Amino acid sequence: MSAVGSRIGQRPLAALGLAIAALVLVAVCLFPFAWMALSSIKKLPELFTVPPHWLPNQPTLDNYATVFFNSNIPRYFLNSCIISGGATLVALLLAVFASYGFARFKFRGKALLQTFVLVGQLLPTAAIIVPLFITLRWLHLINTYWGLILVYTIITLPLSVWMLTSYLRNIPRELEEAATIDGAGRLGILFRIVLPLAVPGIVAVVVFCFVTCWNEFVFALVFAQDQSVKTLPIGLAEFSTEFNTDWGGVMAASMVMTAPVVLLFLAFQRLFVGGLTAGATKG
Amino acid sequence: MHRPSPGLLFILPAIVVLFLLIAFPIVYTLYLSAVDNHGAFTLKNYANVLRPYVTRQAFGNLIYYVGGSIVFQVLLGTLTAILLNQKFPGRGVVRSIVLIPWVVPGIVAATTWAWMFHTEFGIINYMLAGAHVIPGPIGWLTDKDTVMPVLIAINVWKLFPFVAIMVLAGLQAIPGELYEAAKIDGATFWEEVRYITIPQVRPVLVAVTLLLVIWGLNAITLIYAITQGGPAGLSLITPIQIYQLAFTSFQFNEAAALSVLFFIVAAIVVAVYIKVIPPSAEATE
Repeated sequence: MSAVGSRIGQRPLAALGLAIAALVLVAVCLFPFAWMALSSIKKLPELFTVPPHWLPNQPTLDNYATVFFNSNIPRYFLNSCIISGGATLVALLLAVFASYGFARFKFRGKALLQTFVLVGQLLPTAAIIVPLFITLRWLHLINTYWGLILVYTIITLPLSVWMLTSYLRNIPRELEEAATIDGAGRLGILFRIVLPLAVPGIVAVVVFCFVTCWNEFVFALVFAQDQSVKTLPIGLAEFSTEFNTDWGGVMAASMVMTAPVVLLFLAFQRLFVGGLTAGATKG
Repeated sequence: MHRPSPGLLFILPAIVVLFLLIAFPIVYTLYLSAVDNHGAFTLKNYANVLRPYVTRQAFGNLIYYVGGSIVFQVLLGTLTAILLNQKFPGRGVVRSIVLIPWVVPGIVAATTWAWMFHTEFGIINYMLAGAHVIPGPIGWLTDKDTVMPVLIAINVWKLFPFVAIMVLAGLQAIPGELYEAAKIDGATFWEEVRYITIPQVRPVLVAVTLLLVIWGLNAITLIYAITQGGPAGLSLITPIQIYQLAFTSFQFNEAAALSVLFFIVAAIVVAVYIKVIPPSAEATE
């Protein structure tokens, strides 16, 4: 598209360099996953072989059997789904209303409130983890689904509001004005007219929220210490004891944990990247 | 007007939730940091936290970790963006693949790299020794000279894709007319880079860099999962120190004091961020 692109592409030597650079880039990004996948189908003695084998001599699904039938991973998978799904719903609901308010109304203190929401995204979570723990303990929400769902709104809501506000702002107002003349109420307009037009923005927010919660580690470590609510990131650590790590199990569990995120992301990549970069490049 | 604006009503639920979960804990941390176990006012918590060498060590490590990571994240991310902005076959696929390290769970990246850097059975020692780059196996994650650089390298691998997509979006937003005009004026390739590309992408780079600083200050997952701050505190960073003070030693008041100090440092960074980046998209439109 740009002149920088076309000029380099014209020279054959440069094209070769470009291809090599692209291959190196792909290798750097994918090698750890390839090694993870290969390690997950090796038997334990083969994992602990010096020098390591590139390909497994006897590929096995034993590690996956361990993960699925002989560990808590299935339960943690379920917990992760419930917590990530619940947190996504809560954040989306709050973000839809808030971003509509920010995108369509003028009122006193709006700039200040927008700044407050943005600052929420920038806060160091480590600095508020102690009082959050005390607050949740006081509310009897430690080791509950609701506890994690609530704290996850801290890390998802600000960026969701930000992404959705810039999306809604680009939807033309005329449709809404026509509906207002026809006597539709504010909520009716939001749900019947604005939201159907905002589906791509909403999908981007949903993917962002779900993936963020699915991957989150520190809050889960502190607020979910019981097996009934532990999530996958915490479960991964259970394959390691102080003296021994079941690397085959860890790698198989990592595959199980990574697959949904990568699939979800690749499926909606265009929407997600568009939503994320829109705000940063408009200026 | 005595009735509140409908806009305010739409925003209220989100603001209330954020206020309860962010503003309240901050105030409560301040209180906790300034009282003893019996609720009496004291500054001892601050003194107890500031005195030991480990606090300075953790803060120094944090600066080293964040600074070292950012230099390479921005450098590699920008180079990647420039590469992905060129035309070559398979560009769409490569763009998707590059994002994967950023999307995968941090804990998965941590365990996979820990396995690859394993002293005895790790593939990295095997490859490097095989290529005669190193004479024998290195204890990457247990050696005092290598542990931080290795953690920084893993962090760079995880986050340079984010820089790449943001800078790529910035590159694509540059109007083609600018290059055409430059071409008519007889500008060379490097003049285009110097006078068009860099100034146009600069705002994105500034925004991304500051976001990386904030995320870096927050980064617990990688280091906690790989070394837990070891060996001997050499990779301990302040957020992990706060976590350990609170949930391993159960010194909630001292953890709160350290949180406040840490918070002040982070707040300065956030203030810079808001000063440089206009807070609302409206202002930039």
